[in-house]
Amino acid sequence: MNSVAAALLVWILTSPSSDRGDAWPTHMACSSGGLEVLYQSCDPLQDFGLSIDQCSKQIPQQLNIRFGIILREDIRELFLDIALISRGSSILNFSYPICEEDLPKFSFCGRRKGEQIYYAGPVNNLGFDVPQGEYQVLLELYNENRATVACANATVISF
Amino acid sequence: MAPAISCVFLVALFSTSCEAIASSDQMCIEKETNKTYNCENLGLGEIPGTLPNSTECLEFSFNFLPTIQNTTFSRLVNLTFLDLTRCQIYWIHEDTFQSQHQLDTLVLTANPLIFMAETSLNGPKSLKHLFFIQTGMSSLDFIPMHNLKNLESLHLGSNHISSIKLPKDFPTEKLKVLDFQNNAIHYLSKEDVGSLQQATNLSLNLKGNDITRIELGAFKSTIFQSLDFGGTLDLLVIFKGLQNSTVQSLWLGTFEDINDEDINFSVFDGLCEMSVESMYLQKHHFFNISSNTFHCFTSLQELDLTATHLKELPSGIVGLKSLKKLVLSANKFSNLCQINAANFPSLTHLYIKGNTKRLDLGTGCLENLENLHLLDLSHDDIETSDCCNLQLKNLSHLQSLNLSYNEPLGLKTEAFQECPQLELLDLAFTRLRVNTAQSPFQNLHLLKVLNLSHCLLDTSNQHILDGLPVLQHLNLQGNNFPNGNIQKTNPLQTLESLEILILSFCDLSSIDQQAFISLKIMNHVDLSHNRLTSSSIEALSHLKGIYLNLAANHIGIIPSGLLPILSQQRTINLRGNPLDCTCSNIYFLEWYKENMQKLEDTENTFCANPPLLRGVKLSDVTLSCSITAVGIFFLIVFLLLFTVVLIFAVKYFLRWKYQHI
Repeated sequence: MNSVAAALLVWILTSPSSDRGDAWPTHMACSSGGLEVLYQSCDPLQDFGLSIDQCSKQIPQQLNIRFGIILREDIRELFLDIALISRGSSILNFSYPICEEDLPKFSFCGRRKGEQIYYAGPVNNLGFDVPQGEYQVLLELYNENRATVACANATVISF
Repeated sequence: MAPAISCVFLVALFSTSCEAIASSDQMCIEKETNKTYNCENLGLGEIPGTLPNSTECLEFSFNFLPTIQNTTFSRLVNLTFLDLTRCQIYWIHEDTFQSQHQLDTLVLTANPLIFMAETSLNGPKSLKHLFFIQTGMSSLDFIPMHNLKNLESLHLGSNHISSIKLPKDFPTEKLKVLDFQNNAIHYLSKEDVGSLQQATNLSLNLKGNDITRIELGAFKSTIFQSLDFGGTLDLLVIFKGLQNSTVQSLWLGTFEDINDEDINFSVFDGLCEMSVESMYLQKHHFFNISSNTFHCFTSLQELDLTATHLKELPSGIVGLKSLKKLVLSANKFSNLCQINAANFPSLTHLYIKGNTKRLDLGTGCLENLENLHLLDLSHDDIETSDCCNLQLKNLSHLQSLNLSYNEPLGLKTEAFQECPQLELLDLAFTRLRVNTAQSPFQNLHLLKVLNLSHCLLDTSNQHILDGLPVLQHLNLQGNNFPNGNIQKTNPLQTLESLEILILSFCDLSSIDQQAFISLKIMNHVDLSHNRLTSSSIEALSHLKGIYLNLAANHIGIIPSGLLPILSQQRTINLRGNPLDCTCSNIYFLEWYKENMQKLEDTENTFCANPPLLRGVKLSDVTLSCSITAVGIFFLIVFLLLFTVVLIFAVKYFLRWKYQHI
């Protein structure tokens, strides 16, 4: 009986959060220069960590970020989908390859399921100004089998 | 009274009994009966008792097994593949895999291993692939090597290893892949490389290790299938160190997140001292290339210069005369003539895709590439009103052309006259402007595969597909037909060799019975994601043994007359249709159950009608449309009452008649 109880306890402690029903906490990726970026993991299996350097309304080219996650899938191929929504209407949908078989853009391309990844470096973005307002951004990283690697619901507030 | 009774009778007559079989929920997902199981992310502390002893492939990642020992897997004697990624394994005790004689692949990625017992890998007769990625290993001595004689690949990425030297007596005879990605290897000595001498055709991956020194002659007279020094900062070190070696494929690219200085082209002089077949130099800065930069590349067959910031290549380059394959993708050319194609007269494969500027194809820029077989110009923002004879001048041996994902192209009759040998033409997602009655693909006598998906074709042009006598595979996804209807006369009728036809997402609502009549040898027809009803099935009556995809259409009832047409096919997909599960569709529902082996995606094929059965799998529905026991009871009652009423009526009628004589 004791072993059953122990197994149950272990199962509860290690089981993925979808069973617990509550969502992952909302984190702040950056807040300064009139810009605030909040995000929440929408992958039911796990949370991830993100922080953005040089946060400001005038987003500079080549932003540097820090990113930490456990890979749930191999990332020989990795794609990013971005959906930008403002006041309930879609402004922009965008898909971008990060790792491809014939062009692995970043040094972490090709790492395997289970690996823990920490990336601190540039993201090769365009520079632009964020007009005042509140924006909803859905970011999704997935591999060649459309399996989720990371998913984030972000809110960008520009004062 | 009588009408009410007959109503009840009718209801009883048509009453249907439904039955849905609920499958019992299992924790692990069965991917192949009795063979392949996925138990990922279940937080399991042991192998579940529900797994059959015959399990061969077990995906067990993200569970909880702090200690594994000889009792952990003992029951699963047929295991060939075992994935234990991130199971928090600390200890692998003696004889853990003792009974797994068939085990071929063992994945231990991302476990914080403290110790592996000397006999922990004993048991498997032919262990071929071992993954020790991110296990905290700092020395190769950690791996017990008694039972590694058949090892073909060893993955040691993301550890703290600082030397590639294999322990003495490490079996390397069959080793083909040795992967040291993202470790702390900075120095390669003669002794290190010498320990790999026994392995033939080895692929050695040292990506993400900052190699700063290689002992002179370390790679002397070694032969490698591939060497990967991705992200290395000093190419000079590599080329000097690789003197007198033979490498099939040498990967020297770098990455966005690695600070990289302009390449000093003198580093390539080292190539004169070695033999390389394919070289990859992605993402380096290649400014100011001179005609002499590549003078040591003479033995090279394949050169990849993807995203190397190139704006042009000079003319008169020495050393690339015998190059067969060249990749110039993701660069900054503005005109195709800027690659100076005359530099590469032997080229058979040329890739210039994803150019970061709008690429102008110019006129005759590739005319010296007489041997070119394959040309990829996709994702280049190419726009031209008259394609492609001037642009592809003299490419008479071209077999494969990719112009997908470009801006609008204007095509006239015989638009590919310059490449009569074309076998494959990909124009997907490139808008095509073709004037009325023109036939752009005319005279492509050898074309087998044509992808025209999302080209916004004018399908009312009856001649648009003329002149393709051997076309086998046509993709027309995302094109519209006049009024959503494929008529009896349509541009497809000339394609008599067609085997594969894709017409998904074409907004079709009907297909004429005779529309495909001259397409006699088709074996794969995809009509998914349209608005077709069952009447369109008649267009396929002359075909047998085909794969037919009708997913996501508007098929509700399939009359019994159409069932023989379905019966003669090989595989049918009906997922995502508003299928009717009432007695008016009983013939089809019976047919469905009898032909389950012909049906694809049955797990996702559901009823839409009646509301009670909405979302129930078709395979789980059992209709009984004959008269039920209740029906028989009411029928008898009805007949009795009817007889009584009739007798009374006759009696009354006779009495009335007598009274009036």
